Amino acid sequence: MIELKNIEKYYANKGVKSYILRHVTASIKQGEFVSIMGPSGAGKSTLLNILGMLEEPTYGQYEFMGEDITSLNERKRIELYRNHIGFVFQAYHLIDEMTVAENIEAPLLYKKVSGAERKSRVADVLDRFNMVAKKDLFPNQLSGGQQQLVGIARALVAQPSVILADEPTGNLQSAQALQIMDLFKKLNQEEGITIIQVTHSEVNAGYGSRILHLLDGVIKEDVTVEQTV
Amino acid sequence: MFRLNLKIALRNLWKNKSFTLINIGGLSIGLASCMILLLYVKYEWGYDKQFTNYKNTYIIYTNHDTGTDKTSYAWTPALLAPELKAKIPGVKYASHSSYPEAHLIGNGENSFKTNAVFADNDFLKMLDYKFLQGNPDQALQKVNTVILTATLAKRLFGNEDPINRSVKLDNQDVLKVEAVIADLPKNSSIQFEYLLPWVLFENKNPWMKDAGWQAMICLTMLQLDDEKTFGAASQLIKSIYERSDPKSGNEALLHPLSKWHLYADFQNGKSVGGKISQVKTFFLLAFCILLIACVNFMNLSTAKSEKRAKEVGVRKVIGSTRKMLIAQFIVESFLLTILGLILAFILIEASIPYFNQLLNTDLIIDYTDWTSWTALMVLTLFTGLIAGSYPAFFLSSFEPVKVLKGFGKAGGSSLPVRKILVVFQFVFAACLIICTTVIYQQINYIKDKPIGYNKDNLMEINLVGALQGEGKFKLLKEQLLKTGSVTSVASFSRSINRMGQRAFNISWPGKPKNGDILFNYRFAGYDFIKTIDAGIIMGRDFSANFNDEKNVLLNQTAVKVMGLKHPVGSMIKWGDGNVTIVGVVKDFVIESPFEKTLPMIIGHNDNNSAVAVLRLSPDQNLSNSIAQIDAVVNGINPGFPVERKFVNDNFEEKFNNEKQLGIVANWFGGFAIFISCLGLLGLALYMAEQRKKEISIRKVLGASNINILSLLNKDFIKLVAIANLIAFPAAYVIVSKWLSNYDFRVPITLIPFCAALLISLVIASLTVSIQSVKVAKSNPVDALKYE
Repeated sequence: MIELKNIEKYYANKGVKSYILRHVTASIKQGEFVSIMGPSGAGKSTLLNILGMLEEPTYGQYEFMGEDITSLNERKRIELYRNHIGFVFQAYHLIDEMTVAENIEAPLLYKKVSGAERKSRVADVLDRFNMVAKKDLFPNQLSGGQQQLVGIARALVAQPSVILADEPTGNLQSAQALQIMDLFKKLNQEEGITIIQVTHSEVNAGYGSRILHLLDGVIKEDVTVEQTV
Repeated sequence: MFRLNLKIALRNLWKNKSFTLINIGGLSIGLASCMILLLYVKYEWGYDKQFTNYKNTYIIYTNHDTGTDKTSYAWTPALLAPELKAKIPGVKYASHSSYPEAHLIGNGENSFKTNAVFADNDFLKMLDYKFLQGNPDQALQKVNTVILTATLAKRLFGNEDPINRSVKLDNQDVLKVEAVIADLPKNSSIQFEYLLPWVLFENKNPWMKDAGWQAMICLTMLQLDDEKTFGAASQLIKSIYERSDPKSGNEALLHPLSKWHLYADFQNGKSVGGKISQVKTFFLLAFCILLIACVNFMNLSTAKSEKRAKEVGVRKVIGSTRKMLIAQFIVESFLLTILGLILAFILIEASIPYFNQLLNTDLIIDYTDWTSWTALMVLTLFTGLIAGSYPAFFLSSFEPVKVLKGFGKAGGSSLPVRKILVVFQFVFAACLIICTTVIYQQINYIKDKPIGYNKDNLMEINLVGALQGEGKFKLLKEQLLKTGSVTSVASFSRSINRMGQRAFNISWPGKPKNGDILFNYRFAGYDFIKTIDAGIIMGRDFSANFNDEKNVLLNQTAVKVMGLKHPVGSMIKWGDGNVTIVGVVKDFVIESPFEKTLPMIIGHNDNNSAVAVLRLSPDQNLSNSIAQIDAVVNGINPGFPVERKFVNDNFEEKFNNEKQLGIVANWFGGFAIFISCLGLLGLALYMAEQRKKEISIRKVLGASNINILSLLNKDFIKLVAIANLIAFPAAYVIVSKWLSNYDFRVPITLIPFCAALLISLVIASLTVSIQSVKVAKSNPVDALKYE
């Protein structure tokens, strides 16, 4: 599903190139649950941003579902966002002016889903996440964990094939974090959604099926996790 | 989608209440100013366009060739109208009418002095006033008839039916009311409260019948069949004087009725504009103010960008295109514009009576007129788009990765644009301050300029009714002087401050051929110069001790243009008769104080004068004097109310145009500054947000509140100073162009420029300080905590 070949990313500053990523080559298949780990400054977030097409690599080739992303235009990219990619952020990034239900509904609006279907899908997701009672609250009226649930619900509602999560539990207490990770695992196993997350936590990484260890922009290790949890 | 956008826009506005308030406030003031100015422009533009066939209706101007150039005036001989109708093909109607003049009209005891026009039936055909009662086809044909306007009819007869009732004109002629018309719109050039038949005019002034082609006594108006005949007709009409009166050297000129009001200035026989330039200026001003308000809006919206940036990023990531984001921001801007519009309407409705009073206009918002609604829609669309475009394009251009990572410098690039916008606003505001100051300086300069006579304590009494009788003026003078309330009395042929009575027919020894010069001519009684307290340079005043019947006074300018070495005692020719100069008077202002004094010739005549000029005794109590004067006048002329006026008040009226301009410039300049300050406040808010961290760090390092304050204010002071520097040359060009319209003008000094600089700096720093004090006082921990 995702093919990275020789991805490089550097910033040139006064002739000095400072590399963020070097020779990153990886292949991620449909249905995998990948955790990207590494110390601060290793390039985890940049790699995720490149995967999410928020940033462009300086060199290298990136194929998403068989399409070469590096030559993709804006319109096509937005199409991918609408249909195949869901983002989950560390800081949730919900829209403050929208209620829970509206936040979840927003991607469907952009996808031009009909009104009736939008309603049923939002209701469905709310139900699954046990948030029906909170649907008319605004983000600032929710706890962090609840906000992240809304964030995931929003990422899910458009039925993407891959979810990209940048430290989804970084701002949460451990109990809430576990809940979120359980949810990810369930989504991965029951619905076959590909999940790629950036995380610092070994525990969280343990929920996934594969870990990419990044150090100074280079993939040091690529291990498959024994499903013990 | 749209509904959600609207909902989010509303929530956003509600959340940032102070921003919303500043935004809507600025927009509504801008919109209200713009609309009031546009209403005024529409009002002026609509002058004389109420009539069905105004496009084919023309005013006849007479171009008089003076040898060096031509003077033009809308006065014509009475013979012209019938001649036009009979001889020029394509002329549908031609009318002669008098200029409005006040006459006394009464129903028994109930009488008023108010403006009347003598006109014929063709006049009504061209100017199709709305007849409430009576038949326009037969009106103004019989001698003893009158047409009243609705208001006058009500004043005279109350709620009774006025038709066929009789009224008395000047306590003399009994007239029958044959029709009632609706009140005239204020933006119609010919203003009257009742219409009298032309035949009556001829009966009252029997000399007119033989007046011939030389006597310019009336207004001639004509209507052509259609536009196509204009070329041929105007050619024929041009030479009509030559055919009828070869000596005169006059030409007739067709001036469209619709241009009468706005294009009233003539140079060398051609229309060269007039009030239209003021109207154009106001039109421009309207849009400039609106633009300032829009700039404000842009500034404030982009200042909020940090807060909105995250939203933009998220939306892009979940699949919004840039177009959709632009649409959302435009929806927000329209929402604000519409809210501003509603507030603007409230402001307009509240302030319009005040402006009507100031400008002496009749502005209303016509809610039934579809054109004004269309204009309003266009205005809203325009404002919404202009105001919303920059924030929409700016905000929607954020790249999600940058804004989602936490704010770096995504907003930094917009600051120069915003600074330019603020500079633009203040350039405009400073220009307006300078112009306003110069206008007031000019008015004061002219007011303080010596006018050549003493206008204080000088009163005029209109000589009407019995006061016009033979020997009555002498009686009046004697009785007034006896009361002791007046020290001197003289008659004059025209109210001192009224224009008119000009002639070319004066010749003197050594006058060059074709060297006709336009003179003001007047007639004065004994002691006139003494009464108005003008200086005699040579010779003497008219005096009862001499027989002055064939003697005249000249003013200084007249002596100068005639080139007389020894004026007193010389004989000159006035019309057909010879007159002797007995005195030379210092120039005194009777027409516009802004223009050079025309040469003037004053003949002697104690009868048939229009006014008595009274010098009140300074020792007497004013109200006592007035009571005594009233008693004397009433004693001689019982049927009329006493019409007295202080010359001082009349003189003030000469400044109306300039005062109006000053008031408009003042008000709207004030608004422009206010709106600009709102913009500045917005920029200060933005800056405070941006530099919160920097300021906190500085405070931690030991900067005092004053240090911080001056640091923050310095940038804005710089902007305003730059704006002033740009404004100075522009304003200089504008005011010197405006001043060049006047013969006497105040020199352009540094004062208005300094005033602009000072005012804008003070206001700007006060505005900015509101915000920067808050920032300077804030606790550094609050800002640093979030990093």
